Amino acid sequence: MAAGCAAPFGEPAEVREGFLCPLCLKDLQAFHQLRSHYEEEHSGEDRDVRGQLRNLVQKAKRAKRKLLKREGDDRTDSGSQERYESFSYGGVDPYMWEPQEVGAMRSHLSDFKKHRAARIDHYVVEVNKLIIRLEKLTSFDRANTESAKIRAIEKSVVPWVSDQDVPFCPDCGNKFNIRNRRHHCRLCGSIMCKKCMELVSLPLASKLTSASKEALGSHTSPNSSPNSVHGSRRSSISSISSVSSVLDEKDDDRIRCCRHCKDTLLKREQQIDEKEYTPEIVKLYEKLRLCMEKVDQKAPEYIRMAESLNAGETTYNLEHANDLRVEIQKVYEFIDALSKKILSLGLHEDPQPHPKTLQLQRMIRYSATLFVQEKLLGLMSLPTKDQYEELKKRRLHMVALETRGKQDEKQKDFVSRSAAAVNGDATHLKKGTVRKSEGWLPTSSISRESEIADPLLQQIDNITSFIKQAKAANRIDEVHMLQENLRQLQDEYDQQQTLKAIELSKRQAEEEEMQREELQVLREKEWEREHHKFMSQHSRTCSLDFREVKQHEHEVAKENWNLTAHALDLDITQIKGDPSFETPAVEQLPANEHLIFTLKPQNVPQRDKDQDQTACLNPFEDEADTPQSEEDPANPFAKDTSPMVSFSNTALQSDKKEYNPFENEEEDEQTNGAPGSNSNPFEEDENPFQKPGGSWNSGNPFEERSSTNPFEVEDGNEISGEEAIEEELLLQQIDNIKAYIFDAKHSGRMDEVEVLTENLKELKRTLAKQKEKSNC
Amino acid sequence: MNAVLAVKQYVSKMIEDSGPGMKVLLMDRETSEILQKEVYLFERLDSANREAMKHLKAICFLRPTKENVELLIQELRRPKYSIYFIYFSNVISKSDVKSLAEADEQEVVAEVQEFYGDYIAVNPHVFSLNLLGCCQGRSWDPAQLSRTTQGLTALLLSLKKCPMIRYQLSSESAKRLAECVKQVITKEYELFDFRRTEVPPLLLILDRSDDAITPLLNQWTYQAMVHELLGINNNRIDLSRVPGISKDLREVVLSAENDEFYANNMYLNFAEIGSNIKNLMEDFQRRKPKEQQKLESIADMKAFVENYPQFKKMSGTVSKHVTVVGELSRLVGERNLLEVSEVEQELACQNDHSSALQNVRRLLQNPKVTEFDAARLVMLYALHYERHSSNSLPGLMTDLRNRGVPEKYRKLVSAVVEYGGKRVRGSDLFSPKDAVAITKQFLKGLKGVENVYTQHQPLLQETLDQLIKGKLKDSQYPYLGPNTLRDRPQDIIVFIIGGATYEEALTVYNLNRTNPGVRIVLGGTTIHNTKSFLEEVTASGFRGRSTESSHVAPRSSSRR
Repeated sequence: MAAGCAAPFGEPAEVREGFLCPLCLKDLQAFHQLRSHYEEEHSGEDRDVRGQLRNLVQKAKRAKRKLLKREGDDRTDSGSQERYESFSYGGVDPYMWEPQEVGAMRSHLSDFKKHRAARIDHYVVEVNKLIIRLEKLTSFDRANTESAKIRAIEKSVVPWVSDQDVPFCPDCGNKFNIRNRRHHCRLCGSIMCKKCMELVSLPLASKLTSASKEALGSHTSPNSSPNSVHGSRRSSISSISSVSSVLDEKDDDRIRCCRHCKDTLLKREQQIDEKEYTPEIVKLYEKLRLCMEKVDQKAPEYIRMAESLNAGETTYNLEHANDLRVEIQKVYEFIDALSKKILSLGLHEDPQPHPKTLQLQRMIRYSATLFVQEKLLGLMSLPTKDQYEELKKRRLHMVALETRGKQDEKQKDFVSRSAAAVNGDATHLKKGTVRKSEGWLPTSSISRESEIADPLLQQIDNITSFIKQAKAANRIDEVHMLQENLRQLQDEYDQQQTLKAIELSKRQAEEEEMQREELQVLREKEWEREHHKFMSQHSRTCSLDFREVKQHEHEVAKENWNLTAHALDLDITQIKGDPSFETPAVEQLPANEHLIFTLKPQNVPQRDKDQDQTACLNPFEDEADTPQSEEDPANPFAKDTSPMVSFSNTALQSDKKEYNPFENEEEDEQTNGAPGSNSNPFEEDENPFQKPGGSWNSGNPFEERSSTNPFEVEDGNEISGEEAIEEELLLQQIDNIKAYIFDAKHSGRMDEVEVLTENLKELKRTLAKQKEKSNC
Repeated sequence: MNAVLAVKQYVSKMIEDSGPGMKVLLMDRETSEILQKEVYLFERLDSANREAMKHLKAICFLRPTKENVELLIQELRRPKYSIYFIYFSNVISKSDVKSLAEADEQEVVAEVQEFYGDYIAVNPHVFSLNLLGCCQGRSWDPAQLSRTTQGLTALLLSLKKCPMIRYQLSSESAKRLAECVKQVITKEYELFDFRRTEVPPLLLILDRSDDAITPLLNQWTYQAMVHELLGINNNRIDLSRVPGISKDLREVVLSAENDEFYANNMYLNFAEIGSNIKNLMEDFQRRKPKEQQKLESIADMKAFVENYPQFKKMSGTVSKHVTVVGELSRLVGERNLLEVSEVEQELACQNDHSSALQNVRRLLQNPKVTEFDAARLVMLYALHYERHSSNSLPGLMTDLRNRGVPEKYRKLVSAVVEYGGKRVRGSDLFSPKDAVAITKQFLKGLKGVENVYTQHQPLLQETLDQLIKGKLKDSQYPYLGPNTLRDRPQDIIVFIIGGATYEEALTVYNLNRTNPGVRIVLGGTTIHNTKSFLEEVTASGFRGRSTESSHVAPRSSSRR
């Protein structure tokens, strides 16, 4: 399509370019030729023209004019031929016009206030007058005073208008007679008919008077007064105290007044109510804004820290950064919770709030979501303690490695092939470059999670910092690798969408099968070490059976096999150059899995260590206490191939080790001697693989975002979209919190663990509720 | 001089003034929409079902009309929000302020100001008043005149310009508007008391009827073309009639403010847009996982990483422009617009009657040419060769009728001639064309070929060019009042009664680009495409004659 519309002007009808003589249209090659041609051929024709042509370029306009005259055009020169003149771009694009001050404005506020003050004075006086009278009318015990006496008091408060002066009701115009009797307003003394008469109840009166006295504590609840005000007259007739008067119904507990006075009083009452009442939404909103301000303050500080730490610098303390991170995370949670609360305000009430109220709530929620998304994405993760140590070492190491720019060729070849094979999982490779030193310990092998945002973004974030590092260390080959990684990252993003559905369904069955397969192979290995090479291949082919994987896989297996046949040092560099082998195993673990860790992942970090740390001869010792790090809680990239790859890794690893890692494992299992958890880890392992559906959703915020938009309110499906997000957010949140809990536990901050556990419970409850809601 | 910025600054000032807290923005039909910090709701003052929300602050941005003041008085009597910040988009009378003040018994009003945003800023250098049919015959509709005066003075105030005024002598309405503007400036002299510049700004008021050709031409630059073929209304384009359009693209927003691609391409021609779209797509695809091989340098990657959050936004931009350009492309093919446009340009720019007539006849026979375009061609012919000795308009009209072009279009031919024919024109729209042709060829030799489809330059180009050079004739464009400008003007505001066009917007843009020290802002009662221009002609009371033959006899006697 683009090509289609790119060519509309391909061939204009007839185009003549170059230096055409304006008079005979002879085509000349260059300007000087044109000029000489002109002088030769047309010199006799018009001196003016020739003269002007000398300055052709500069004075094209004038030349034109002369030419026009020469052509015998009888019209006078209108001077309108200048449009082709200015081709020096000296002007300014209107977008670039210099900044201007705000336009003119004029305030009418002082005028307005002047007029209003006059009016308000009048109004205030009016209101105060009424309140004072009202106070007098209610200052005695009306119930226990004779009606005559009451009337006397009432008459003393305000002079009553004489009956004779008012033959008709001033409000409705009806004539007063024996049936339509006159009534006096007790507040202003005016006369009206019964129909036009209003009543002020005592509670309302006391509320108004006490409010004026600033004795706000004693007022009745806002709800009670309207009821009493609108109480029907009939009920007052039947009241016990009304018997005393025959001619005139008596309202002991009410004060008669005219409509106007009543209006004024009601307005006043409304004002009083509003003064005191802060709606829930305002309280929540104020908290929300406070939190946002806090984030705005703290986040930049944290980002500075994290960047520095991730680069292996020692400017900041890792602990501090971790604390700050947790703190900021909490604020985000709070913002999220607050805005959610605002969103759901009044939703369960009957009647439903006004649509505009709901829209307001949605808008606030939307802006809070945007805020969190925007800021949270910028919040990079921190290395674990050991990673950090590693990073520091690595930083030094890389400087040392600068000289080792060898084996580029092989490395690249290897990388590309493996990349193709590992497919999407390779996207996480670059993590490997950073978390070299994933320590492992059979008993406490729990993965640690500190991921929050979209994993893809996190990855990219990491990549940049790695590239920076690599660049800083002049490690060209690594830079290449990282580029490769990035490509795979993109690949993943694309495939993820389409494969998601298929995979989810396939996955469970596959995994089970897979586990069994792996288990068997591992067991075999334990007994027959010397056959492991063969077996790694075997496992490959097996795995090919139950998934339609790319052919490369096989190839890679072979490649691995070949490579591993090489000397150990070769492996080190190669694999160092190819982080794709390091991460998949780590990445494949869904969030929940970290509690039931197995043999398989243990191998991987070990291998990582070996590969990357040539210096570190016995990785098992100094990494024993390091947890598995940086799991994406909801990693969408943990795809079909990952378990297999990890397995091939184990196999591969066994190939190249001088010693046998399986011995180690065996030992560990034995020493731990907890058969339930350790002797058959693969059985347990199956659970997490059945779960991925749950954490799956939270992986891709980009898809959700479109539906979050409250501007599309009218559609009706909007609400459900919102709910879906809630759920996803919740899941993400839960994952996060789990990670924090582990984090806190690990570093011994028990108080935090408690708090977080509480949070987690709450979140789970909400999630359950939400699900219930969406189900019904 | 930036109209868009002027309005933006007003709005941000309003929101700033009202301090922190949740806000609702109350507007009327005309004050346009804005989403800003902490503004969560937008309401129309006249919407019946507004709920009282005492926890919100209200920012009211309203035109100071009778109805609005009345509605506001009702509102203040029973306030729905806690505090009101009231901004009128134009001068409000003292008596209205008083009535408002007296209604504010609960003291909810915290601010009453005039912010002169009483116009629609289309581009930084283009504004519109969105008025259609401003004249009745040759003279103003009084209501429209007062609205136009308000809009124009508001623009002057928002840009802080107190200009000298020139107007087109041949147009009675131009003179009338000039006088009204002058009146306001005199009356509100305190408001117009701005810091004096060395060269005072200039307001030039023109009349559309002087150049009825420009709004009749098909356009090939992006903004103008979109408006001509699809129609731009407050930055929105209705794509609902596009075959197979997806739901979220039914209506798209084209705003240079938030759409970088549009900002960069709105003045480029269709061919350039096509290749830029292609680049954009490639760009997009490169970011898409499939085609990664182009991410070779670190800079590429960095760009990707940095752009990642924009991924979504970018894909929106891509699909939007691909759709729009695709639709334009489809229409161009379906309506045979390349050929039509070529003949249009010939009619507008050249003086070869027989060739023009031949081409028009040929296209009238072409079934692909729409009735609308056919009528448009005949209109252009009628305008240009109105008094040509061998005028064959009757024949063309017969052709139109034979082709089945409805009466309403055929009537418009004479209506357009009546609106902008030779009799009413103050300038020579076609006369220098022979000369132009020669000059063009002459200059082609110097600087290469121009585009066949965009050879037309609106009359405004010449007028402004002369103005900038200080050569615009006082006899044709007199000053209002005794003072004249001795220097060349620097800040120029041109206003076209009867509507400007995007072609003219482009012209002014280019003039701004090419003339150092000169800033020109273009305004009109509206921004026309051909369709709206013809509506304008009809609304102004030129209905045309239904019989083709009555008026077309060439009046050779009146030729010079």
